[in-house]
This record gives sequence, C-alpha cells and structure tokens, in this order.
Amino acid sequence: MPAHDTGAARRLTRWIPAIAAPVAIGVAVVVVPMQANAAVDLPDLTPEELLELAASSDVDALSGTMEQTSELGLPDLSGLTGAMGGRGSDDGTAASATDLDDVVSLVTGTHTARVYLDESNARLQVLDPLAERDVYVSQQGVWVYDSRAQAATHVTPPPAADVEALKAELEAWGEAARAQVEAQYGAPLPNPGEVLDRALAKLDESTDVSVGTDALVAGREAYELVLEPRDPDTLVGSVRVAIDGDTGVALAASVTARNVEEPAFSVAFTDISFEAPDASVFEFTPPAGTEVTEHQVPLPSVAELEQWKAEAEAGAVAPEGMPRPVVHGEGWSAVVELPAGEGGAKGLGGEASAMLDGLTTRVDGGRVVQTSLITVLFTDDGRVLAGAVTADHLLDVAANGR
Amino acid sequence: MGLETPAGPAPRPAEAVDSGTLSLLGSELLTLFRRRRTWAMIGALALIPILIGIALRLAGPAPSGRGPAFLSQITENGLFVGMTALVVAIPLFLPLTIGVVAGDSIAGEASHGTLRYLLIAPAGRVRLLLVKYAAAAAFCAAATLTVVIAGTLVGLVLFPIGPITLLSGVTVSIAEGLLRFLAVAAYVTVSLLGMSAIGLFLSTLTTVPVGAMAATAILAVVSQIMDALPQLETLHPWLFTHYWLGFGDLLREPPVWDSFVDNAVLQAGYVVVFGALAVGRFLTKDVLS
Repeated sequence: MPAHDTGAARRLTRWIPAIAAPVAIGVAVVVVPMQANAAVDLPDLTPEELLELAASSDVDALSGTMEQTSELGLPDLSGLTGAMGGRGSDDGTAASATDLDDVVSLVTGTHTARVYLDESNARLQVLDPLAERDVYVSQQGVWVYDSRAQAATHVTPPPAADVEALKAELEAWGEAARAQVEAQYGAPLPNPGEVLDRALAKLDESTDVSVGTDALVAGREAYELVLEPRDPDTLVGSVRVAIDGDTGVALAASVTARNVEEPAFSVAFTDISFEAPDASVFEFTPPAGTEVTEHQVPLPSVAELEQWKAEAEAGAVAPEGMPRPVVHGEGWSAVVELPAGEGGAKGLGGEASAMLDGLTTRVDGGRVVQTSLITVLFTDDGRVLAGAVTADHLLDVAANGR
Repeated sequence: MGLETPAGPAPRPAEAVDSGTLSLLGSELLTLFRRRRTWAMIGALALIPILIGIALRLAGPAPSGRGPAFLSQITENGLFVGMTALVVAIPLFLPLTIGVVAGDSIAGEASHGTLRYLLIAPAGRVRLLLVKYAAAAAFCAAATLTVVIAGTLVGLVLFPIGPITLLSGVTVSIAEGLLRFLAVAAYVTVSLLGMSAIGLFLSTLTTVPVGAMAATAILAVVSQIMDALPQLETLHPWLFTHYWLGFGDLLREPPVWDSFVDNAVLQAGYVVVFGALAVGRFLTKDVLS
C-alpha cells in the first residue's frame, strides 16, 4: 500500500497551511501581549513615593483614547427602557425614556471616548456607534453636543471681572468646604504637598495602600497603586490605579467588588500621547439645524456665599430648602441617607414607581437594589439609603440610625 | 467559462503565471459583471437609497433620534441618503448579495460542470481560488459603492445639499464630505472581505451553490445576533460582523482610524484562516465535475 500512503501524506501536507494559519494567529494573539506585560519592570517605589510621583505630575496637554467598562451586576434594564420608549407618547415621556436610556447605557457595557487636553481647553468625545456626544470646555464656556438629538447646550461663564472679584472669597470658602468634607467623609482629597502626608496617615486607618505589579497601560510602563479597604462592611474589594512611571499621570483606574475577579467599573487609556493636540480639535460652532440651549452660570454674590458658608458650617438645610442628605458612618462603609419625602420618591410618577418595582427586590422594611458595588434601600417610610455596603448593613443603619 | 489558454511560444514561467492569472481574473470579472443576476443584485441595492429618498420626500422630515442613523439629517442635506442607505443595507442586504457571489464562486462552477476545465491550466487550484476571491472582493466594492453613489445621486436630485455636518458637530465642505463617504465605502468593503473568504471556503465544500450562498448569509446574521447578546461579550471582538457599523468613526472630527485598523486586522485574520481552509479543502478535493 505504498501508493496509498504517499497519497494520504500528500493530503496531509496540503492541509498544513489550513492548520498553521489559525494556530499562528492564536499564538500571536495570546503570547505577544503576555510577553509585553512580562517585560515591564520599573524601579520599585513605596506607596508614598508613588503617590508623590502622581501628585507632582504636571502634564497639561494630552490626547488619548479611553475605554470605560461597567459590570455592576445591575438587573437587566434593556427591556425596561425599551418598554418605556414604546409607551412614551409624543410629549416629554419619550424624551425622558431616551434620557433614561442614556443613563442606563452609561452604567452598563463598554464606552470609548477620546480625550483632548491643552493648557486652556479640554474636549471629551464619547464615541457612540454612529453617533457622538461631545463636551468642549474652554475659557469662553462649555459646549455640550449630542449628535443623535442634534442638540447643543452652551454654558457661558459669568463675566471675567466678577469672577476675579469673587476669586479670593471662593478660595477661602473652598478651603473651609474641603476641610469640612474631609472631616465628614474621612477620605482625603488628592492634593500635593503636606496634605499628602496627612492624607496618607488618615488613609492608612481605613485602607491598606500598596504598590501592585507593573504593567503596560496604553503602551506605557505604569505602576499600580492598590487600595484595599480594611473595613469589613464594605462591598468594595479593591481600587486599583495605574500610574504612568514617567509622567505620574493616572492611566487607568478600576474598582473591584469583594470576592469578584473582574472589576465592576474600570476606565483606562488604550492609547495616549502627551503632545499638545491641534488647536482645531477644540473649536466648536453649533452646526445648522441644531437646537441650541443657552445657559448663563449665575455668579453668586458674596452675601450668598457667606450664607452658604454659614449653612455649611452649621450642617443645616441647603438653600433650596431640601433637607441635606445625612451621612452615617465614615470611610468605605459610609451610608448616605435622603430623608423621607424629598429627593427620593418625590417627582417619581406612576411609571417610575412601576419601574422601581421591576428593579428592586422586596426585603423586610423596604425595597433594595443590589449591585456588586452599591446597594440602595428604599425604606417603606420613604427614606432612601445608599452605600457601598451590603443590604443587611443598610437595613441596620435604617433601623438604628447610625 | 472564459478559460484563457496560453498561445504562441511559451514565455518564461513567472510571466506565464502572471499574465495567465491576470487574464483569468479579467475573464472572471467579465463573467461576473455580465451576469444578469449580478446586475439584479446591484439594482436591488441601488433601490434602497431610492426608496429612502422617495419616502422622506413624500413624508417629510423624520424626527431626530428615531429610525436609522442619519435619517433625520436627510431633509436638510441630501448627501446623507447614501449613509442612511448604508446603515440599512449593512445588516442584511449587503451580506446577502456577497453571500450569493462568494458562495457561488466554486460551487457554481462545480454544479455547471465547468470546474474541471478551469483547473486544466497550470498552477491551477490555488490560482483559481485567488482569482475567484479577487472577483468576490471586487463585487464587495461594487456593491458598497452602488449604495453610496446611488444614495448621493438620489439626495442630489430630491433634497437640498450643502456642507456636511459630521457626528462631532463640525461642518466640512462638500468635497471633504464626499471624500469621507468614499473612505466609508472603503471601510465597508474591507468589512465584507472576511465574509467573502468564509463564503469561498463554504463554496469549496459543496457542489450545490445555493447551500453555500445560504450558509454564508446565515452565518452573517448569526454573527450579528451573537454580537447583540451581552452574555457573549468576550466573543464580540472576534466576530467578523463586530465592526460592520463602525464606519461612523470616519465621520468624526478628527476622524478616528482605530476601528478602521481593528476592522482591517480582524478581516485579514478571517481571510487568512478561511483562505487557508479553502486552499486545504480545494487542494485535497476530488473534482468530479
């Protein structure tokens, strides 16, 4: 049977390209990125040094592509918003369904955006499929453009002279507010200099700060800063920030829920350049046929500021007469409570409450929306509590008020 | 079928292969674009922008934010008819016609009993596959251009035209806009190349052309359904339909070329894998008809 053997052998030889091609592609896809990551080895830094590197970053021009992924483990909302869109008549309901769609789409799935930044301008370009949302920020104001709705919103800042006059006042007020926020939340605001040390000391009480494995992010070698809450009550497992080894710019950030491997929320540059982008990318004039809404930011008077300041210090009622949300606990397991009747259930029509029913699960004492990171509790007496904690913890806070 | 036999004294081998391949490709293209079926399909594709144009002309402007992308812009700027038609044609009509051409490529010859004659020429089988694939790719370009050009002409006739507003809200001149539309046509043509390779491979499996055509078109639909299921998210970047509607990135300012490149790489992967499979299958196949 030699003839048969050679025939079979030849057949096999002829199949070689067919087998080799997929194998080669598979190898290229799997091995090349692995090797790229394995090659990254930056000089070791302590968490303090890494934070200093990040704080000292003075990049004021960049352009890059960002990808944002959310895997919050929300109940499936697509059917819901679809149904609402269908039900919506020609008046405002249809619009609100579209808005809801927008919100839902932002917290689920993957989004790609391009970011442009130079000394005085910034632009965020959200790349939706066959549509785009843009935010142009310049000293002349802010343009928000939505290609699907063909609508633009122009927010103009108050006259420059007034701004200058208020600047000092604002700064003083900002300091006070920051101190208050820091006291209230226990979480530090990122600030350079001496604040850093104090912040780190404070952070260490609630959080284990460490430096993770170096990796390649957007083609750049980056450190990884890992924050792990010490608090057993929180749902947050870890927060990871990739910091460019060269410039100290944060290239990626992700939040991972406890006992879950994949991050619940992540945002990362997939490519970045620190060259100043062309000035033309920041130019925007609303195109013909666009619905333009103008907003002028009202400049508060010094008296108003004083009043707000006093109120902020007293921790009392906000100017609109809405009760201030109450924060229970501190650090990672802080719980925010909206008192009954205001903000929470207010303004939700029948449709919205029907939607609430579809989203929530009934528990003893209220309804709960549970995601992998955040839990929201609507108590039967109308209060709304939210926090990065378990439902049991929320119920506990709701019952005991602490 | 148009088989070119080398005439006169044999030229040097390399040239023989070259000129033989070229003339084979020429005759293949001639055959393809002489068929009534091909023109019927091109006519059907041209009908899409015509119908959209007439419907909008009669019914008036579409409310923004509803219907296929760009629809609401048509009444202001007729040049968008082509883009709207492309959005409508990409999920089904384009893949259907590509499926017919690619699925027919080898199986059609086999069912007509003409395949073995085509294989008599030297360097036969691989060259025949290459030529058949090139013809299918040419049809991809022709089909896409038909939709875009017919759309632009319809828009020109039925609606006012003017400078083109891109997705970013930036307005560019008509000339630049038309260039962008050509780039979009190139994008869509590239996106269909992977599917053509799948069709070619399926076509080598059978002697029943309808089977290969249907299987190719069905695969395109299945792939798009899988692309819509969030549960299969990890698979999405590997589906050959994944970037099909990504041509919008060329209509931004500044244009984003990432998806063009990703798409081209993905399609090249499909062409290599299914091309190799087609070669493997075709070289080992017993051609009986």
